[in-house]
Amino acid sequence: MKRLVSLLGACLALFAGSAAAATPGVTADQIRVATIQDLSGPIAILGAPIRDGMVMRFDEENERGGVHGRKLRIAVEDSGYDPKKAVLATRKLLQRDGVFAFLGDLGTPVVMATMPIIVGAGRPHLFPFSPHEATYQPLDPLKFQLFAPYQDYMSAAVQEMVRNNGYKRVGLLYQDDDYGLEVMKGVEAGLARLGQTLVEKTGYKRGATDFASQIARLRAAGCDFVVLATVVRETVGAVSEARKLGWNVDMLVTASGYSAQTHELGGKAMEGLYGVSVMPHPYPAGANERLGEWIERYRTRYDAEPNVWSVMGYNVADVFIRGLRGAGRDLTVASFVHAMENLSTTRDFFGGPAYHFSAQDHLGNRHGRLARIEGGKWVLISDYLK
Amino acid sequence: MKGSLLALVIGAAAIAVLGTSYALSQFAFVATWAIAGLGLSLILGQAGQISLGHGAFLGIGAYVEGALAVAGWPAWASFPLAVLVAAAAGWVAALPGRRLGGMAFAMSTLAIALLVEEALVRWEGLTRGAAGLAIPPLQLFGQTVSGPLGQFVVSALLLLVAYGCCRRWVGSRLGRAWRAVRDDEVAAAAVGIDCGALRSLAFVLGAGMAGLAGALYAHWLAYLSPEQFGLQLSFELLMLVFIGGVGRLSGAIWGAAVFVALPQLIALATDLLPARWAAASGTETMAFGVLIVLIILLRPGGIAGGRRQGRREAG
Repeated sequence: MKRLVSLLGACLALFAGSAAAATPGVTADQIRVATIQDLSGPIAILGAPIRDGMVMRFDEENERGGVHGRKLRIAVEDSGYDPKKAVLATRKLLQRDGVFAFLGDLGTPVVMATMPIIVGAGRPHLFPFSPHEATYQPLDPLKFQLFAPYQDYMSAAVQEMVRNNGYKRVGLLYQDDDYGLEVMKGVEAGLARLGQTLVEKTGYKRGATDFASQIARLRAAGCDFVVLATVVRETVGAVSEARKLGWNVDMLVTASGYSAQTHELGGKAMEGLYGVSVMPHPYPAGANERLGEWIERYRTRYDAEPNVWSVMGYNVADVFIRGLRGAGRDLTVASFVHAMENLSTTRDFFGGPAYHFSAQDHLGNRHGRLARIEGGKWVLISDYLK
Repeated sequence: MKGSLLALVIGAAAIAVLGTSYALSQFAFVATWAIAGLGLSLILGQAGQISLGHGAFLGIGAYVEGALAVAGWPAWASFPLAVLVAAAAGWVAALPGRRLGGMAFAMSTLAIALLVEEALVRWEGLTRGAAGLAIPPLQLFGQTVSGPLGQFVVSALLLLVAYGCCRRWVGSRLGRAWRAVRDDEVAAAAVGIDCGALRSLAFVLGAGMAGLAGALYAHWLAYLSPEQFGLQLSFELLMLVFIGGVGRLSGAIWGAAVFVALPQLIALATDLLPARWAAASGTETMAFGVLIVLIILLRPGGIAGGRRQGRREAG
């Protein structure tokens, strides 16, 4: 019995010693990171291209020899948008895979349930796909966010639209969840700056397919401009309903509706729809040389067309790699955080925004730009709105 | 006995293979889900009522505990209240059962699930609506229960208590009366059993247990949003009880193990597949579906129920 206890003690001491000595997930020749995506749940349509974009960027870096001689490995877990599954996946990734950081986790419930565990374990929680401000506020050394919060850029976008087009009666159709509420706050804040309020706001439950009553209500309120806090299918449903009734009101959808699927599914009825773009859609036609090459590489690799989510996944991995480069060969969580807090990027070949981080601000970008569907594709009509 | 031994072996193997904190975290969720499953087992397996809205009671328990924990209530006061409020909701949900039977009553429980989810979104003052509610870690006897070990110990102890209570109920006169109502309502009424009151009682107790599971879930997850307690959760719990074995209380534990741990085991197995297969979307979901179908084919009475559609009985 005594021997067993001493053996156990020795094992524990060894484990504790080895754990304290090295940075988790970092060895002499590789860096292991993790991402929790929805690959089988309600937003799997976003999760798969995000993952593919990330993996593609990592593989490119590995082909060039990795970062400071270390190859990048990414462990992908499927949460199915279930926070319970995500919590278990997080424990697995922390304990079994011993990853260095979590990158681009998808979905607010998933992010909010797993973030305290990740940060509690001392690992960086980077660039999650969630509009929740808890992903970068209050300031925490381990939390970094890349994506503009809906509130900020929708406020700017609505102000720009109202100023340019002189709308007097603005309405809102919103999804009845955290996403819709964030957008509503942004729209109300933007209008307040112009001395206006929403004349009508009407919600729908996620998954709704019929928007007849909501559109009728907005029309009855005499709206001359309608903001859509909708996702792709709902955007198509709402705009089609309005056009079917012969109501050609100007409509502006958030970045969640800024997707090639919106005009692919909605067809002609989507012409003239305004949208906010945080990251441009990678259209092959009219692409610059580097973007054209990138699209071709993506197609060859995945036998699929890239979309805005693939670009975002690629972008997340790219900014992470820049942070790793800045941290140098002697990579620890502290050296990585220090490098991230001094990171500034320039505009890339996708036409995305420049990101700036500092010790006081861990949100890389707050801006979006306006786009419009013209001739069956999104056309950017403004630069990033400051 | 054989089942307990098997469970112990599986538990030890899981810790050895998965690592302590990952395995204990799984066990904590298995035990929590098993408590909810036990509640549904009383309603479905004993009293013969189909509840399509059991997730709503779990949600009520979670939100009551969450809101009280945020307000600084101690767990010894907030947990019983979470159970009581969920049980009261169960009593309300059982009211249509006095007039409706079978599928008509099942539909009314579906309505309860929808109503509760909607109420959680609308009652922003308490639930923070769709924005979600962050829950502080459980404080028990001056200790913070935030690690997997503490979560497992608390869940397992409460599961033991819940299981003990259920065993006592189903083995008593109450359990016999429930089964009499389930098997032949007319005959039960003829011998003087108040069928409506008994069904209500099953709902009250079952919903209370779901409330207890919800209270634990709130702390283990640390973040609540109404969408977590939608219809999918109710159907998941229903499947959990059927897969585990509807007539046996131990079925709730087996069902919870399958629903919580099996997807994790599949995820581990998927890691061993060639990258191209592992990366294909839906691989894990498909494997889970196939395994569930296999379980149903091989053990139609549920894992605890035997190879053939067994007699529904207690224990």
